[in-house]
Amino acid sequence: MSSSTLPARAPAGPRHPDPAVSPSDHPRRRRPSLSPRWAAAAFAAPLVLYLLLFYVYPLVQNFSMSLHEYDRATFVYGGAPFVGFDIYADILGQDRFRRIAVQTAVFTVVSLVVQYVAGLGLAVFFRRSFPLSSVLRAMFLVPWLLPVIVSGTTWQWMMNADNGVLNRFLGVFGADPVWWLNAENALMAVIIANIWLGIPFNLVILYSGLQNIPGELYEASALDGASTRQQFWRITLPLLRPVSMITLLLGLVYTLKVVDIIWIMTMGTGTSQTLATWSYSMAFGKGTSASIQYSEASAVGSVLLVVALAFGLLYLALQRKQED
Amino acid sequence: MATKRRRNLAALGTVTLVGLALSACGAGGGAVPEATGDASEGTTTDEITFWDPYPQHTGGTPWDDLVTSCAPEGSTITRTAAPTADLMNQLTTAVREGNAPDVILLDNPAVPEAVSAGLVAAADQVGIDAAGIDENLLGPGVIDGEVYGIPFGSNALGLYYNADILDAAGIDPASITDWAALEDALAAVTEAGSEGITFSGIAGEEGVFQALPWFWGSGADLSDLGSADAVSTGQVMSDWIGDGYAPRSAATDNQSASWDLFLTGEYAFGENGSWFAAAAADSGFEVGVIPIPAKDGGVAPVPTGGEFLMAPVQSENASDHFANAAAVISCLTEGDKLLETNETLGYLAAKPDVRAEQVAANPLWEPWAPIVEGAEGRTTELGAEYVDVSARLSEALQVSLNAAGDTAQVETAFQDAGEG
Repeated sequence: MSSSTLPARAPAGPRHPDPAVSPSDHPRRRRPSLSPRWAAAAFAAPLVLYLLLFYVYPLVQNFSMSLHEYDRATFVYGGAPFVGFDIYADILGQDRFRRIAVQTAVFTVVSLVVQYVAGLGLAVFFRRSFPLSSVLRAMFLVPWLLPVIVSGTTWQWMMNADNGVLNRFLGVFGADPVWWLNAENALMAVIIANIWLGIPFNLVILYSGLQNIPGELYEASALDGASTRQQFWRITLPLLRPVSMITLLLGLVYTLKVVDIIWIMTMGTGTSQTLATWSYSMAFGKGTSASIQYSEASAVGSVLLVVALAFGLLYLALQRKQED
Repeated sequence: MATKRRRNLAALGTVTLVGLALSACGAGGGAVPEATGDASEGTTTDEITFWDPYPQHTGGTPWDDLVTSCAPEGSTITRTAAPTADLMNQLTTAVREGNAPDVILLDNPAVPEAVSAGLVAAADQVGIDAAGIDENLLGPGVIDGEVYGIPFGSNALGLYYNADILDAAGIDPASITDWAALEDALAAVTEAGSEGITFSGIAGEEGVFQALPWFWGSGADLSDLGSADAVSTGQVMSDWIGDGYAPRSAATDNQSASWDLFLTGEYAFGENGSWFAAAAADSGFEVGVIPIPAKDGGVAPVPTGGEFLMAPVQSENASDHFANAAAVISCLTEGDKLLETNETLGYLAAKPDVRAEQVAANPLWEPWAPIVEGAEGRTTELGAEYVDVSARLSEALQVSLNAAGDTAQVETAFQDAGEG
């Protein structure tokens, strides 16, 4: 039985290069210079195709839409006239744009700063383990876990001007009731809700950042007589810088594009209109105006993208500077 | 170095090619939708698609059963529902992509825009018969003299009242025939410890719908939002909030939220639609309804409410699609089915004889029939321009409600709206 298999194996067994085989070996040796390149391309192809289909193409379409004057009919039948940057000029020149841009800036900056400070405070607080600390920490994640439609509607109820729980609470201290969701106060109302929504994100990331700071540093500094305050400013904050930067950048991008919580609470009325809700209402004919404005919406969307991109580049620059 | 550059060029070329191929797809690979086709040349097909703005009527509800029962012999109807704003956008995309439904049921203020964007076919082509439908209710479906769709019925706005509260305050609801009488009644009931009136002042079309009876009742005209009469509309609603007659949440309440407030039994009046007539009869207190009064007396015209049955423009086999539409639409709007359609949705029929039948069978409808008969189409006068006018009116109303009675703010808001 075995004798019949042995002769078949024998030629393959010895690894000595056989002169008779060498001519056919040539192409095999040259192939490595070609095939890895193709193999690499083949491996990259799905990703490249994916990026083209789902990132580049929509972006290009969005930009192209903001350069043509679309209405519902031309959206369906084509033939929207090319107007160059006229729509950008028109949008950027409006008083409304300036007002909404300022509101967006206030919404974003106030949300970011308060979320970060509160998140950092809580993260430092939870760093020292104490009984039930993990339960408490888990409870702080609730805003993150709730669907925004639920939390948004709840905030709307709580902020009811006539019988909302927030005004009742203020009444205990003798304060006058606030009409939270009217045109003037709407921005403050949505900022409060958005801060509440964003604290868990900051808490989680900053808390995990704190875990990476070696405990010996605190021990050493304590031996040198550093106070808790000095430990925070000299150790915690500097070592948390990379994590803080990414938290703030992600927070900025999230906050810039927030539509849901604002829409549920006020539909972007009054001062609560931001560039994102404005773009959304124009793109889909929702809110105060049912008239659809495809081109204006994509122009505002592009402006938002450029702002987010600018901060992304700033982040990269800061990161590089830190590495040097 | 040279090979690297060549490789980059090749990559760039591939990217460009893929991009071009993609944009070619985007421009519509198939046939372009056209306003061609004739129902009389088509035959009904196996599958019929029907879109409506009633997501609350899910599968198996009476409305769903009614629609699917209208399938011609050998066909089945697939119903899809989405809220009005989404439905309009979905229709736009579907017509563009050449897969529009056979029948669309669209809220009446959206009809002129759908027509001007070329999304729906003319009734003649589709074989839809508008005979026997009241002119005021058909109005929004007629653009430049051409009929595009038909309503099966209409709903309307009235002023519901809590009879217990009015009795206690010694007010006869029949005496409320002008704004001054309503003002006195509101003052009297709030004096007696009750709340005044609930309405929906939410931004957008819904709030405008609720404001139009007061707007038209003041003598104002949609073509002039800055007129003194128009300002008086904003003022009266603003004062309700300023004087504490209406809840401040009215500025953000939709009609359901406003109805829930009325159902608490604390409010004397609630401006709301005939679609709540049946629910009103089931509430824990006695509810009556009066027409919304005009400023100087009489009944204010209310905007017609309700949807239009239409057939979207098709890219392929238009005649067959139109034959489907004709079969389903005639089923829902003709003969005995018209009564069933309206009773199922809580609407009053668009044809006078069927409406009379409804009123005779159900006294609940009695106060509503004259209101529907006096209603005006929102878009009848302005056509597709209405959408923009409505948006400006909505902004002015929002400012007015937020101003809580401040006359200067209300006046400026309406004047700005008139100029915009």
